[in-house]
Amino acid sequence: MDYLWLKALHIVAVVTWIGGMLVVAVTITAASGGRAQQETAMHSAVLAAVRRWDQRVTSPAMILVWILGIALALTGSWFPQGWLLAKLVSVLLLSVLHGGLSGRLRGLSRNQQPSPPPPLRYAAAAVVVATFVIVILVVTKPI
Amino acid sequence: MSSAEQIEDLLQLRKMRLVSLVEGTTLLLIVGVAVPLKYLAGFPLATRLIGPVHGVAFVLYVWMLIQTVSMGGWSRAETARMVLAAFIPFGAFLNERALARRQSALAASG
Repeated sequence: MDYLWLKALHIVAVVTWIGGMLVVAVTITAASGGRAQQETAMHSAVLAAVRRWDQRVTSPAMILVWILGIALALTGSWFPQGWLLAKLVSVLLLSVLHGGLSGRLRGLSRNQQPSPPPPLRYAAAAVVVATFVIVILVVTKPI
Repeated sequence: MSSAEQIEDLLQLRKMRLVSLVEGTTLLLIVGVAVPLKYLAGFPLATRLIGPVHGVAFVLYVWMLIQTVSMGGWSRAETARMVLAAFIPFGAFLNERALARRQSALAASG
């Protein structure tokens, strides 16, 4: 496939994935507070909608990010370069965080574990910081 | 656990077994076929084809493992073993058996 098409589709998948992860991260923080626990009807409807979006849109977008990203890296023959390796590690950590958020969301929708473990409380901030690092790495290619 | 939740958990374990097998098989193909072809026969196409497939399968496996573990019911030792085995040739097949045992235990408890 043409490089520009690969790049465009990769960016679409990234935006969809990062946006979806932020929705899950914020929902988990909101649904875990003491007050939110009392508003159960709205709580479960919102959790179900976010979970559906995560399963049907955000998770497939993550897989597409990986497939298109690897295809792009092969097309550009960038493999041993430092910026790409650093970017790969950052995206792997984001994928791990997404797995944690997804599992947590499922636990919450089953009314388990009332408050999020400390690391997930900062998940939204971590997603923004990782996105910042990844974009700087890929645009400026500093190493 | 409601029956819908049990069905969902069984499906998750079944998907993980499949991804684990793909991850393990592609790792064996890289180590046993693609790398010897590249360095002994000067044929690099095999690593270029299988490498990316293994990469995607590995990420999917780690992602699904973290997702499953985050739901609770897994000890730290079990989780560590499932992660470590993914790096070792044939380890994924041990993981697949462990997941199959978990799946049978869950099905029997329903």
